[in-house]
Amino acid sequence: MTKYQLYKLLQRTEALKDERHPMFEKNRFMKFLMWFLVAYYAALMIIMGVSLGFGLKGDYSAAYHRLDGGFFYLLIIDFWMRFMMQETPAQKAQTYALLPIRRSFLMKTYLIRNMLSWGNTFWAFFLVPFGLVSIVPLMGWGAFLGWLIGYWLLFVLNGLGYLFTRALCMKHMLWFLAPLVLHAALVCVCVLPDHNVLRVPFILFMQGFAQWSILPYLIVFAAIALALWANYRLQMGMVYNEVGKKEEVELKRASQFTYLNRFGTMGEYLKLELKLRMRNKQARMQFFVGLGLIVFFSVMLYFTDVYDSGFMKSFICLYDYVIMGATTLIGIMCYEGNYIDGLMSRRETIYDLLRAKFFFNLGILAIPFLLIFPLMVTGKISVWMNLGYLFFTAGVLYPCIFQMAVYNKNTLPLNVKLTGGNQGTMMQQVISLVVLFLPIALEKISVLLLGPVWGYMPLIGLGIAGIATHRFWLRNIYHRFMLRRHANMEGFRASRHG
Amino acid sequence: MNIIINNLKKTFGEKVAVDIEHYQINTGEILGLVGNNGAGKSTLFRLILDLIKADTGSVRMTGMAGGEKRDINVAETEDWKDWTGAFVDESFLIDYLTPDEYFHFIARISGLSDAELEDDLQKYEHFMAGELMGQKKLIRNLSAGNKQKVGIVAAMLLRPQVLILDEPFNFLDPSSQSHIKHLLQEYNQTTGATILISSHNLQHTVDICPRIALLEDGHIIRDIANTGGEAQQELENYFEV
Repeated sequence: MTKYQLYKLLQRTEALKDERHPMFEKNRFMKFLMWFLVAYYAALMIIMGVSLGFGLKGDYSAAYHRLDGGFFYLLIIDFWMRFMMQETPAQKAQTYALLPIRRSFLMKTYLIRNMLSWGNTFWAFFLVPFGLVSIVPLMGWGAFLGWLIGYWLLFVLNGLGYLFTRALCMKHMLWFLAPLVLHAALVCVCVLPDHNVLRVPFILFMQGFAQWSILPYLIVFAAIALALWANYRLQMGMVYNEVGKKEEVELKRASQFTYLNRFGTMGEYLKLELKLRMRNKQARMQFFVGLGLIVFFSVMLYFTDVYDSGFMKSFICLYDYVIMGATTLIGIMCYEGNYIDGLMSRRETIYDLLRAKFFFNLGILAIPFLLIFPLMVTGKISVWMNLGYLFFTAGVLYPCIFQMAVYNKNTLPLNVKLTGGNQGTMMQQVISLVVLFLPIALEKISVLLLGPVWGYMPLIGLGIAGIATHRFWLRNIYHRFMLRRHANMEGFRASRHG
Repeated sequence: MNIIINNLKKTFGEKVAVDIEHYQINTGEILGLVGNNGAGKSTLFRLILDLIKADTGSVRMTGMAGGEKRDINVAETEDWKDWTGAFVDESFLIDYLTPDEYFHFIARISGLSDAELEDDLQKYEHFMAGELMGQKKLIRNLSAGNKQKVGIVAAMLLRPQVLILDEPFNFLDPSSQSHIKHLLQEYNQTTGATILISSHNLQHTVDICPRIALLEDGHIIRDIANTGGEAQQELENYFEV
């Protein structure tokens, strides 16, 4: 078999892996939704590209210069989105570890496939209409093409950077902070009063692509070559680590959380929740990403004033509270899918489990509250807004997110280091969007009608009511879960890993 | 506790996994389920435990529980969970706990005190062979045999009146296999519990089960009395060993 044939065979195998995923294969509707979502986001980006281009019509130069001056914002968004969707070559190559295929070939194949992946061209839905409106009329088609190729190369480089970071995170989770710090620093530099420090070089750099200057291309090609080499070395090491991995078999310290004993049965489930988050790589990573985002949003509020508009303050403050729920709680029961049979053979375990999860997540809300508290004292965030979102998240948004306990039926692996594309189900995405955007709409309407203080009272009131009645709505979720238990257990079993 | 199966049918696509018109397992019996791979043993256990939904039919448990006479359909109530212990596969284990933590978790959510738990665990000390308790190993890091032991002990912890174990001899070393046989017989004699086990090990099944059901393609094709070990020959003829 030639290398090309082998390359095509691997490509086909990977495609089959996705097509024949147990949850995907038996759900035609899900296939339709996947394509629908892609089409939806693509359409959204086209609209954004056209609007932004036309929005600045009459000042064409400013239109694309403004985008180019802040192109790293696109790269930052692209980078973090990859965490949700992209596997690393080390994980993929591990599947073939025992087959007579050279690992170096596998690694090169996956790196090349990563570079040529359609994911790297997704931003074209935004860039092409934007460029057509803002670049073609001013600089012509050649410049437009060069500019597009430049962006594509940057996204390819970004993808390789992501793979490198992800592999480092595998070695130690704290590597996750490296891109976070870098991106935060970039953002901070650009919001400094004299932010031309980076903006002008960025504009010149991107203009170089449009003018087909050799230098920016050389710089990016060199960076890609370096990133490829670094990835190849690191990922190869990771494959050997994965294959010859010796699991740490003994806990250094087995925390017992005896102080939770006072809560009786629910205390036991609280301990279980804590241990779930502490002892499983995937669950721990997800939890710390959530915590990182909470801190990130708080820092944005602390140190910048670009978000001081009413809308953005509301948005960031709400995100601070709801982000953990939107990222971790949205997959409620998915980790439990690994041992659902054991749970279901005991009486009412799921109800107690749900209660514990609710109180655990109530406790989590203390973190954003404490982080926002100084801003409340200094008056940057209003007391009522802070309390409004705190209570609304706990008593209204959590009940919404907890509904997913009834519908989630795909098991998530607990302890897999490298994660695959878990974009979540359609319902998870819809609930995420609802909890991220509905409260702001409600707040704005309420504040408009009742004023900046009384406007938050409905949010606080609804939240307190939701917390006070948690037993009732949790019991309702439990009963509905039990009605769907067979279908859910079947789904959990079918999607169980290993 | 009697287990009464009526018109129980479960299919997966074209494949009939279980199809049993009527079958009764009486209080205090040890029933052995044998059959080739895919005969429907595990599916039958999952149906009895309400872990999968039957296409038709029911599984009822009848008898005395908590001092009162009970007659329940397992698909309609959770009451049976109070008197049933089971271990089918690793999906019964919370593998990020240590065995100690797992036993404590099971005990506490079931209302068993720490003292009662320690008392119960002592009975299985020999079976656990000093490899489970007091270790800081998570269940997922245990050997397959030790995981099996954790599952079996956890199933027996609450002294259930109905005990269901799917292939309990799998992965166990010879001495542990011998231990579990004695444990099950002793447990049955002291508690009068109804015990259902499945196994591919004909010798062990014949040794401890006074009644053996032979499954083929989801049907119970033979219900063999085995009070004196007379099922041995019949099973050997069927399996051609």
